[in-house]
Amino acid sequence: MILASVVRTSAGVEAAFNLADYYPIFIFLILLIAFAVGTLVASQITYLLGLKPYKPTEVKLMPYESGMDPIGSARMQFDVKFYLIAILFLVFDLELLFLYPWAVLAYSDGADPKWVEVFRRMVFWEIIVFIALLTIGFVYEWRKGVFRWR
Amino acid sequence: MKELFSFLDPPFDALAAAVALAGIFVTFIALSSLFFIWLERKVAGRMQDRLGPTRVGGKFGWLQTVADGIKLLVKEDTTPNGADRILFKMAPYLAFCASFVAFISLPFGNGIVGRELSVGAFFLMAVLACEVFGVILAGYSSGSKWSLFGGIREAAQVVSYEVPRALCVLVPVVVAGTLNLNTMGQQQEGMFWNWRVFHDPFTLVAFFIFFITATASCKRAPFDLAEAESELVAGFHTEYSGLRWSVFFMAEYGSMFAVSAAASLLFLGGWHTGFLPFEPSQEWGLLGHLLNGVVFIGKGFFLVFVMMWMRWSLPRLRIDQVMMTCLKYFLPIACVLLIGVGVWELFAPDWLESGWRYLSSIGSLLAILALIVRLLTAPLSVPKGQLAGAWTGLSTPLMRASGR
Repeated sequence: MILASVVRTSAGVEAAFNLADYYPIFIFLILLIAFAVGTLVASQITYLLGLKPYKPTEVKLMPYESGMDPIGSARMQFDVKFYLIAILFLVFDLELLFLYPWAVLAYSDGADPKWVEVFRRMVFWEIIVFIALLTIGFVYEWRKGVFRWR
Repeated sequence: MKELFSFLDPPFDALAAAVALAGIFVTFIALSSLFFIWLERKVAGRMQDRLGPTRVGGKFGWLQTVADGIKLLVKEDTTPNGADRILFKMAPYLAFCASFVAFISLPFGNGIVGRELSVGAFFLMAVLACEVFGVILAGYSSGSKWSLFGGIREAAQVVSYEVPRALCVLVPVVVAGTLNLNTMGQQQEGMFWNWRVFHDPFTLVAFFIFFITATASCKRAPFDLAEAESELVAGFHTEYSGLRWSVFFMAEYGSMFAVSAAASLLFLGGWHTGFLPFEPSQEWGLLGHLLNGVVFIGKGFFLVFVMMWMRWSLPRLRIDQVMMTCLKYFLPIACVLLIGVGVWELFAPDWLESGWRYLSSIGSLLAILALIVRLLTAPLSVPKGQLAGAWTGLSTPLMRASGR
């Protein structure tokens, strides 16, 4: 195993990342899928028992369009603005992925206090440069009018 | 949780613990969403000068939500003709799944946590963000234009509010030096000036930004564009009825409680009362754990109440206003807060740090007390027993006949 069994953070000594900690989440997910399938089956059973009405008509099953007959398909084009927002999100979310490890580790206490002091300031200025580069991109997008909702 | 089932053989104890936890969480989410639906109606009623539900029975009409639940269970589930049937049936459970899994990493007391994850805060944010998939699928698969518009709007809104929300989570993480939510709670032990929100000016602002962006990513008013009733009928859940619709609502209230609990853990001291200088579970044992649980759930419920308060106080924003508030204001502010807290941690001397902590916490406490006293002693706008804005002018023939 490459990873250490414990990590030292400013919050104290903690157990290191261990994939086995996450197995119960998959058990939870399986249980949740069981819950979903269970409710679907249960709703079918309630139909069979006659507790729930099931009387579909042509008009009832029509997609709701404020009382009118639907015009055309609902699989229609939507505005490209939403696509731009999604692209923006990708850029900023990647930034966040880089900032999380910094936020956890930057102020943690290492073995040698002198080295920690130097390291801390160096990493801090690196992060400032990182955010400054992103700010340039942000300002460019702003000037290009990406944030103008037309 | 696993220790309780230690009488079983190794693979089965973890399984039994997971089953028990899942049961507890589903019950908790279902019961709290029943309570929240009742509370939402009562809050709405009070704020609009009416009574809210009273007719069904129970003290303050609490049986109303039970009656609603029974109605939803036996209501016909319709699937529209144009719908993509499999995706349509899957969508509500996908949304519920996201808010359900988030509860695993929430500590309800010192060590009372479904699974103590070393990346708890990150896990919580990541999982809660997945709720948007359910909404997009619902919007796309319904085969209705209103649903499609609601789903697309929701996608754009949640995706952009995700960024400032995650940046605001980073601010207390920088202070705490860990992503483990249980450790974060333990660090805020003691009196209320140890709470993260009073640690420095940046966490104070970050708390408010986090709460607003969390409200937006739970698609709550004033940011509820995905289901804007006045524009999109009911948005993404226009075509849903019965049990599937109620699963969407359980997901919404579940994630509201999850983000409120996250806010209280990250900023408001987690399960600590703020007025006991020790950890209750260590001093009082089981009673202390109980107190912790009550305080934690109480803080979460209070923040959910604040969300309802905001919903009935503010008008809904327009789509361009929502997006631009996020991209032009919250995103730069959140970046500045992150840099600010980094600078503060590096360069702030001890006297400034402790000075700010005591000053801001005691100042906030006094401000809240002053506000409460002011509200309680303020003169009433109308005398007791009369309604504000009620017609008191010329009496109608009916009123004259009854002798008033």
